[in-house]
Amino acid sequence: MKLNRRFLLRGTCQGALAVMGLPFLDCFLNSKGQAQTNGRPLPTRFNTFFWGCGLTASLWIPKTAGTDYEMTVQLKPLEPWRKKLNVFSGLRVPLDSKPNGQHWSGLAAAITGIAPSRTGEFESRTIDQQVAEVIGKGVRFRSVSAASSGDPKQSYSSLGGSNLLPSEPTPLSLYTRLFGPGFQDPTKGDWKPDPRILMQKSVLSAVAEDRRRVMRNLGPGDRARMDQYFTSVRQVEQQMEAELQRPSIEAKVSIPEPPSKDLVANNAWPNLQVITPLMARLGAIALATDQTRVFNLSVSAPQNQMFVPGDPLGFHQSTHEEPVDPKLGYQPRVAKYNLESMELFAAFLKELDAIREGGGTLLDHSVVMAFTDQAYARIHSVDGLPILVAGGASGRLKTGHHIVGDNSPVSRVGLTLQKALGVSVDNWGKESLQVRTPYTELLA
Amino acid sequence: MRLSLQKPIHRALPPRIAALLAIMPALWGTAAALAAPPSGRSWVVSLRRLTEQEYRNSIADIFGKEIEVRGAFEPTFRSSGLAAVSTASLSVTPVGFESFNKMADDIAGQVTAEKYRSKLPCAPRDPKAPDDACATKIISHYGRLLFRRPLTAAELDNRVGLSRRIAEQTNDFYAGLRYSLSVLLQLPDFIFRSEVAIPSADGRGGTLDSWSRATRLSFLMWNTTPDAELLRAAESGELNTPEGLAKQVDRLMASPRLDAGMRAFFDDMLQLDTLDTVSKDSLLYPKWGSGMADSAREETLRTVISLALHENRDIRDLMTTRETWIDRRLAVLYRVPFPFTSDWVKYEFPPDSGRSGLLTQISMLAMFSHPGRSSPTKRGVALLDIFLCSPTPQPPNNVDFSVVNDPKSPLKTLRERLMAHATNQVCASCHTRSDPVGLALEDFDTIGGYRTTENGVPIDVSASIQGHSFSGAQGLGQYIHDDPQYPACVARKLYSYSRGVKNSYVSDFSAAYKDFQNSGFRLRTLLRTMALNDSFYAAAPPGPSTSTAKEVALK
Repeated sequence: MKLNRRFLLRGTCQGALAVMGLPFLDCFLNSKGQAQTNGRPLPTRFNTFFWGCGLTASLWIPKTAGTDYEMTVQLKPLEPWRKKLNVFSGLRVPLDSKPNGQHWSGLAAAITGIAPSRTGEFESRTIDQQVAEVIGKGVRFRSVSAASSGDPKQSYSSLGGSNLLPSEPTPLSLYTRLFGPGFQDPTKGDWKPDPRILMQKSVLSAVAEDRRRVMRNLGPGDRARMDQYFTSVRQVEQQMEAELQRPSIEAKVSIPEPPSKDLVANNAWPNLQVITPLMARLGAIALATDQTRVFNLSVSAPQNQMFVPGDPLGFHQSTHEEPVDPKLGYQPRVAKYNLESMELFAAFLKELDAIREGGGTLLDHSVVMAFTDQAYARIHSVDGLPILVAGGASGRLKTGHHIVGDNSPVSRVGLTLQKALGVSVDNWGKESLQVRTPYTELLA
Repeated sequence: MRLSLQKPIHRALPPRIAALLAIMPALWGTAAALAAPPSGRSWVVSLRRLTEQEYRNSIADIFGKEIEVRGAFEPTFRSSGLAAVSTASLSVTPVGFESFNKMADDIAGQVTAEKYRSKLPCAPRDPKAPDDACATKIISHYGRLLFRRPLTAAELDNRVGLSRRIAEQTNDFYAGLRYSLSVLLQLPDFIFRSEVAIPSADGRGGTLDSWSRATRLSFLMWNTTPDAELLRAAESGELNTPEGLAKQVDRLMASPRLDAGMRAFFDDMLQLDTLDTVSKDSLLYPKWGSGMADSAREETLRTVISLALHENRDIRDLMTTRETWIDRRLAVLYRVPFPFTSDWVKYEFPPDSGRSGLLTQISMLAMFSHPGRSSPTKRGVALLDIFLCSPTPQPPNNVDFSVVNDPKSPLKTLRERLMAHATNQVCASCHTRSDPVGLALEDFDTIGGYRTTENGVPIDVSASIQGHSFSGAQGLGQYIHDDPQYPACVARKLYSYSRGVKNSYVSDFSAAYKDFQNSGFRLRTLLRTMALNDSFYAAAPPGPSTSTAKEVALK
């Protein structure tokens, strides 16, 4: 089978071939047009979207605050979702005595609320892991990350330190993790627990029982690493527990056919345009079938290597080497890459919004935090870091606003989102990034 | 906690499985049964997560090449110039463990499958029943190989117990064995190679115990787990005597498997894994096709191993030699005729080719370039770091590079544009170091092709570093060849690699370096002297916060 978007479009719906579009979507719904959840309320999901090298301030920041702002050039791709979107401008990223680590400090501050001491390291768990601990319990995967440029290291999800939870680097690897071995197909009526999972679970218990022995004679650094190892063991145990449960959504979901071969995933813009929506759709189906409640999608490294064929420089290098056009007042080629990044974000939102569930869509029952590493990549500045948030958190987050900077630190967004997602947290972040007051006007 | 989570499952399960589940807590063993580490007064010096290749090689050596390793490995990253250094600080993430768990189960399944059973150390009296004697034999055999030390009595008891209980429940000896082996395969004792120190004779610090010596030597020399002979020498204590150590070091070095060990070192030192994620602009450079990166990597490794190991030549020649190894793909890029005698052939570039050792191989030129353009700065920064252990600090945050790329600039070549840096003092401090190195390589484009003009202007490849003037890649090659920092950097990185510590922390390689120098910079001499020197096995005393068994028990 030739692999293109079509491979995801096929699946079975009540035994018949379903094609993505309305008939496919109907498979998610019961006769009343509701997603089938065994009478339980739909879960709220959390997603992140990362792109590197930021946007161009004069082209993305709306002129007015509130809901009636005039759409800007660089946010234009997001126009279809403006009512479901919050735009945060003018956020500060105070680093106190920490260095401004190029292409790192800004993103780390946004997702941990802590200015990092060292590039490449997080000083706490990232926000997706903090949220996953609360909303992701009992589902198969605590979180799933994917990188559409083909590099598993492009992940912004961590339990702390320099360990990053690797991203699935291709559509095939993402498919296999989600819908390969261990996946309980909710379309099958004769579900029963797989006894082999019980055995494997007993194996994990035996591994976990060795914790105390392993921890002996270790220095503090190695102890922290082994602690993370055993946390990981515990999460895989929980994954098996989830696999022993009847899948919680009994919707006659159309699970896509496995792709027969993989696609080239790299930094070339034409490939990103194909891979990003594919990965977004796989993630969306995983969320809809409750395989996970936290999905992270990244489209680049912080030093964004995206390039349009024929451009010898690419995005990141352009931010440093392209002169500011004196008439326009900005770097025109960089601006184009900015816009393309927003098109990829739009592709993600499109997939989330295409799946209907409950009275709305998957996007309505989600929060998507889009973040980046630099406010102005040319000079590596972080103040004014753009943050875009989509999705209504099942009605707990008001949307449609442009929130203009009032000197708030960037961590205020993270605190607000955690509140909307039901994370019990009074304050978030450290030093000047520590915040206690969420954007209460956005919380419903 | 664990039991309460299982309650809802019990109800949903068939009675037989529920019964099995109910006995599970009894299988897990008691705290009292947990083993103490092999030696009483000992401490862990380092825990290094196995790299993908180390894991694969270990499985192949322990169970045989027919056992397939199927799964993805967590990435490493580069720290202090080496991925090997990061393995001493990485843990296992949930995603990584999920993969280790699946691989362990899969490997254990293959090892206990019908067609493999004749290779196991024994067969049970009845394959449908537990057999503690046989299980003990098998588990202690593989346990010792996987953990690179013998299992303690308590560890063995636990695994044999699990094996027995599952065999009873399933009426299948091999099912029990499978899950016990799976436990061994996913414990940190296998996934991480731990180096354990014991107090040294002078009482002032520590020295690696014999098992850890065997492990360090084996992964350094062969990039795999210790073989039976090395484990025997560790067990008998021979590795802690000068004669015993020398015998094993010479044995390891005489083997063709030394190639694998040194390939792994140079792959890391030369950062060749960068090729995995190199993208080239197919519009500007259509010749860069799929498979090119793999061929380029192989070319470099073949060149290094052939020159430094097989021919035992001065490693400084790696900077100047015109000899290389090519396959058909590379021949196209290098524009040389390819004789069809085998997949890979040795080739010598003509003197006027401009080529000079590793510096002008496609791998190095392509890795440190932009997708559609060469980058003297990237090349300069990378080569200084790789060959001279001289990293370049990050540029200032607010630096303006736009002059480098201003199309209206009267400056036509990259050289002229880069030289604009020299007028800015902040830039100049670094660029006067890195740019000459890269500018000397400007005769080669982003995929390593030879050229002599840029935008119609002849490329000037003259350069000057600290008063030394030279021209082109061959001049640069000679410059690095003659710089004593280069062989010192190789020695420092070999130390750093073998121990998983940052190269700036390596201070004790001077003895080995001296022999290295006296031998005319022969890699074999460096390796051997290093591996025979006591200081190579020295360990710092345990820190005040190193945990004791008691503390951990209280947690």
